[in-house]
Amino acid sequence: MFAYVLRRLVQAFFVLMIVMLVTFTLPYLQPDGILAPAYAVLGTHSSPANVAHWGLQNGMDHPYWVRFWNYVVQVFVHFNLGHSYKQNLSVWGIISLYVPRTIWLATSSLFLTIVIAIPLGIFQASRRNSTVDYAATGTAFILYGMPLFLLCMLSLQAFAFSWPHLPAQPPSGVAPWAMFTDPVGFILPVMCLTLAGVAALSRYMRGTVLEVLVQDYVRTARAKGCSNKRVLMRHAFRNAMGPIVTILGLYLPGLLGGALIVESVFNYSGLGIQTVNAATNLDIPTVLGITLLVSILTMMGNLLADIMLGVVNPRIRIEGSAK
Amino acid sequence: MTLLPEALEPTIGVDAMALDVAVNAADEIVPMWKQRLKIFAHNKLALASVAYLILITAACFLVPILHPTNQTNQALNLTVRWNAPPSAHHWLGTDSAGFDELGRIFYGGEYSLTLGVLAGMITIVVGTLYGMVAGFAGGVVDGFMMRILDAFLSIPYLFLLIALITLFSRSTTFLIIIIGVTGWWGNARIIRGDALLIRQLEYTQAATAMGASRWHIIRRHVFPNSISNIVTTGTFAVADAILALSALGFLGLGIQTPQTDWGTMLQNGTTQISNGFWWEIYPLATVFILVIVAINYIGDAMRDAFEVRLLER
Repeated sequence: MFAYVLRRLVQAFFVLMIVMLVTFTLPYLQPDGILAPAYAVLGTHSSPANVAHWGLQNGMDHPYWVRFWNYVVQVFVHFNLGHSYKQNLSVWGIISLYVPRTIWLATSSLFLTIVIAIPLGIFQASRRNSTVDYAATGTAFILYGMPLFLLCMLSLQAFAFSWPHLPAQPPSGVAPWAMFTDPVGFILPVMCLTLAGVAALSRYMRGTVLEVLVQDYVRTARAKGCSNKRVLMRHAFRNAMGPIVTILGLYLPGLLGGALIVESVFNYSGLGIQTVNAATNLDIPTVLGITLLVSILTMMGNLLADIMLGVVNPRIRIEGSAK
Repeated sequence: MTLLPEALEPTIGVDAMALDVAVNAADEIVPMWKQRLKIFAHNKLALASVAYLILITAACFLVPILHPTNQTNQALNLTVRWNAPPSAHHWLGTDSAGFDELGRIFYGGEYSLTLGVLAGMITIVVGTLYGMVAGFAGGVVDGFMMRILDAFLSIPYLFLLIALITLFSRSTTFLIIIIGVTGWWGNARIIRGDALLIRQLEYTQAATAMGASRWHIIRRHVFPNSISNIVTTGTFAVADAILALSALGFLGLGIQTPQTDWGTMLQNGTTQISNGFWWEIYPLATVFILVIVAINYIGDAMRDAFEVRLLER
């Protein structure tokens, strides 16, 4: 197990370097070159002398590889993500302000998605091709085909304006604990993100449980006289957990992309909005910092999912520790 | 909403009737594709989806030619009533810029559908090639190629799209390329899995022993045997590309005015919901959702038709 985790961590570091290289290189390839952010910071009509001076201040005179090496050293040796071009804050300052807000939104929605999608999938699989199954599949299909922003806007209109019982936006301060002190404002955003997640996952859950239900050991269990409930809970559910845990790990980047949309519809200033603003303002250190953080979070999630996989499925655990 | 890579699309079982068709078909010698087509045609909803897609595609490309409406000249629209409700002249009213809404649905559909298909094709080609090379090369090369995929998969797709579009260009061509080029990671994983599996099978090893070149084996054995996954993931890729474009449209990064796409139109429409201008949102939303649902349903049905393993059960 330890060797497996170590190997995965080494792989994750390697992947992280690729992410850094790609995100660091991309701004170099844009038409205006690496000095484009200078115009975004100093204004479009700034003089060439000012732009050159800004370039010098930000180390743009060094060759590409030197700058990349400096950035890697800065991040991994000094644990410093740099300073934002656009806001008078360090990148870490921006992240620590906005990441908790997005994390609350994403994790609460993820929790609800799991709590709804897994039982729904099992229920649908056990009543395959019944009216309930068709209705649930149909609803999931429609929600899946609906752009998330449309779902958000329609539910906003329905529950905040036409039938005004819910607040139209979560509290707008930056306090990370707002989710607990003022939870009512979060009902709509979390609901939309959860619905999209359930739509994306429940079809998979249903398929996974169905695949398990045709296995021989399920037939054996039924032949032994197990009740339907026991077959579903003890045999089908536990064996379906493996693929489900894997998929939850892979679902994380999609969840953050969804959070971006939900944040911008509900005017909830979180990581997503910060990234979009930073990207449109060519605030490259901020984009780099957030991308790094997000990929670290995703890889941690995947690693956690794979370790969980070992917990729910002993066969994989043995194979993993043998390597 | 595309929250998951297509790698994770579920398999749906084939119903009993479809099984009968396949079994009967096996008695006579029927070409493989005909058997598949029969199973596919047995799925009435899938046929309806195909019919709907053909209808919408034909309407999007033919109606603007047969019944042209002004969709690009905003100056001309100064004489038109904006946000006008449906009337005999404008069947679905006009939008907030004065364009005929019904004509605009078809006009925007041209862009959304074309982009979806082209981006989907890029996805299929790049994903298939990458997955096959990785799966077939194996070893260090495979490990390296998969780590690159992991790197891309760990960055939220939407963040990457936004960054690329703001950094480089907002032209339609670039949108097609960028949505296609950022969409193949899930496909590559599936195809790689296929290639890994197939290259271990006896007939592939026999071909290798007889001196077949790697390229020959990929072309003759790996490719035909993973065609079902290529086609189905490709179908889902088209739907995902259209959805990705709509998310970009919401952020104002879609196809730029005076051209338009469904996502941009939906975004414009949603700002008008509170005014009660239903014609600017619900007709288009229905058309859009049904297009995505139809494409996904066809993908599912095709997988059922191709999936030989499910037939054996």
